[in-house]
Amino acid sequence: MVIMKKRPFTNILLATFFLYFFLVSIKLLEKGIRSLGAEYTDQLFQSVSSPFVGLLVGILATVLVQSSSVTTATIVGLVGSGFLSLTYAIPMVMGANIGTTVTNTLVSFGHARRENEFKRAFAASTMHDFFNIIAVLVLFPIELATGFLRKLAINTTDIVIATGFTSTKPNSSIKAAIEWGSESIIDLLSKISFIDNLHEQSYKLYAGLLISLAILFIFLSLKNIVSNMKSLMLNKIEFGLNRALSRGGGIFAIVIGILITFSVQSSSITTSILVPIVGSGILAIENAFPITLGANIGTTITAVLASFAVDGSEGLTIALVHVYFNLISVAVLYPYKPLRNFPIKLAMILSSATVKRRYMAIVYVLVTFVMLPILGIVLFN
Amino acid sequence: MSDYSLDSVDAKLGEMLTNSSHMFDLSMSCLLGDTNLDSVKENLYSTDKLINELHRNVRRELILHSAVNSRNLDVPLLLAYMTMSKDIERIGDYCKNLFEIAETGNSFTKGDDLDYLISLRDNISGFIVSLQTCLSIDEESKVQELINSGAELGKEIDEKITSLLEDKLKVEFPVATTLFYRYLKRINLHIVNAATAIIMPVDKIDYIDE
Repeated sequence: MVIMKKRPFTNILLATFFLYFFLVSIKLLEKGIRSLGAEYTDQLFQSVSSPFVGLLVGILATVLVQSSSVTTATIVGLVGSGFLSLTYAIPMVMGANIGTTVTNTLVSFGHARRENEFKRAFAASTMHDFFNIIAVLVLFPIELATGFLRKLAINTTDIVIATGFTSTKPNSSIKAAIEWGSESIIDLLSKISFIDNLHEQSYKLYAGLLISLAILFIFLSLKNIVSNMKSLMLNKIEFGLNRALSRGGGIFAIVIGILITFSVQSSSITTSILVPIVGSGILAIENAFPITLGANIGTTITAVLASFAVDGSEGLTIALVHVYFNLISVAVLYPYKPLRNFPIKLAMILSSATVKRRYMAIVYVLVTFVMLPILGIVLFN
Repeated sequence: MSDYSLDSVDAKLGEMLTNSSHMFDLSMSCLLGDTNLDSVKENLYSTDKLINELHRNVRRELILHSAVNSRNLDVPLLLAYMTMSKDIERIGDYCKNLFEIAETGNSFTKGDDLDYLISLRDNISGFIVSLQTCLSIDEESKVQELINSGAELGKEIDEKITSLLEDKLKVEFPVATTLFYRYLKRINLHIVNAATAIIMPVDKIDYIDE
């Protein structure tokens, strides 16, 4: 049958524009924070009292915006501007990894009408939760004790800077173009009399406005990058998943997960596509699992891109922490079969328990992703 | 840019039709010719299994397509593909039924109406090829032509069945001949139904008379 043709050129143009706008938004965030002044940022900084709270803030922030890319890109901006230290940013990035899994868990609720389908779909979504929680349980204490992720990322940052990679140079053409974009937005804002008056009356409120706008712009630009890239890559996603279906799991499926997520800039897109496929029974949960792990790795590209916009080299360092955390968690937990199957088994146990009492699925989401993080922040802060 | 998975579904439906055509030719050669039954049986049944596997692959690809395109999903198109693949799959099953008529010792090679039966075979064989063509081209008139021709042939076969049931048509194997016409009618109807899925709204698929 004959199908309507698509318009890839428009998608490419829009995705490129929003990628630029995304980098400009990160820069705007950095400028907003800088305009607060060092004294004020130090005060705010002290309000996050422990790395554990940072982890919970990372979870909660990602659940609220439903995108780890928005959270990690914002963290890169905060770290790059010197507002947030690596000590607190690293657990936040780990928290973002946990928080992002709520999206596909919500997608699984769409299968609640059919018992077996829901059981498979819910297990497919929660295996991602369990893997990311286990990864944090394993790597977070080691990081606290040794700082291995931080050291690894700092060393890599030094190597990247030493190679003279263009985007890390303060006067690179990429940075100049981003600077021009952010200055243009600030100029445009200053032409609005209300904002101009605000700038003169209260630097804190003006900075707050810039920060709020920047976060809104990050959210909007990422949303548009994802939707345009998804439209552009739909055929390739289907092709890749079809190949993964026919070849089963393994390293090939991890690579497929990386490539799909890398191309659409969203792990939630990849993992949410898997949920109905596993739910319908055409892909075994064991074979979907490596694609999910690939999605974890692929999504780290957003933070690396965001680091191109910030001046401080620590922006790149925190982006690399995100990359290493996901690479190492896969390298540690995937190769050994009992460890690999552990998150799947936990997900199967949970889905078996919830299938008879489906309200338990909602309770699970609320407790894991909302109540526990809020409680933890209140208790430990 | 073509739509990868639906192009792939189209290709699989085309492959199912090629195999159905092969099965139809094999089973008809057993009834209207001197083909050795044992020599074709394995081929016939393995081809049917192939059609069934292709049918399952079509379903898998439609699920995959719906998961990837969840936001802009053309639901009527997917439903049309589902019903069409089912119709094509059924052709293979009726070809096996035709073969079973031959397997129980019936043959129409010596009947007076052999030439008519051969022309009937050629017509239906031609319809399968036409359906394959209709899948790959965007030409509503061709599909409509196939539906009309199929409907005409359907009426003709119906009249034959009525004549056999009313004992107005004298044949050597009345039960086998009735079943033979019945199976041909079903094969013809599934071809027509599959064709309706290409151009008709989902609620009207299969209902050309109403």
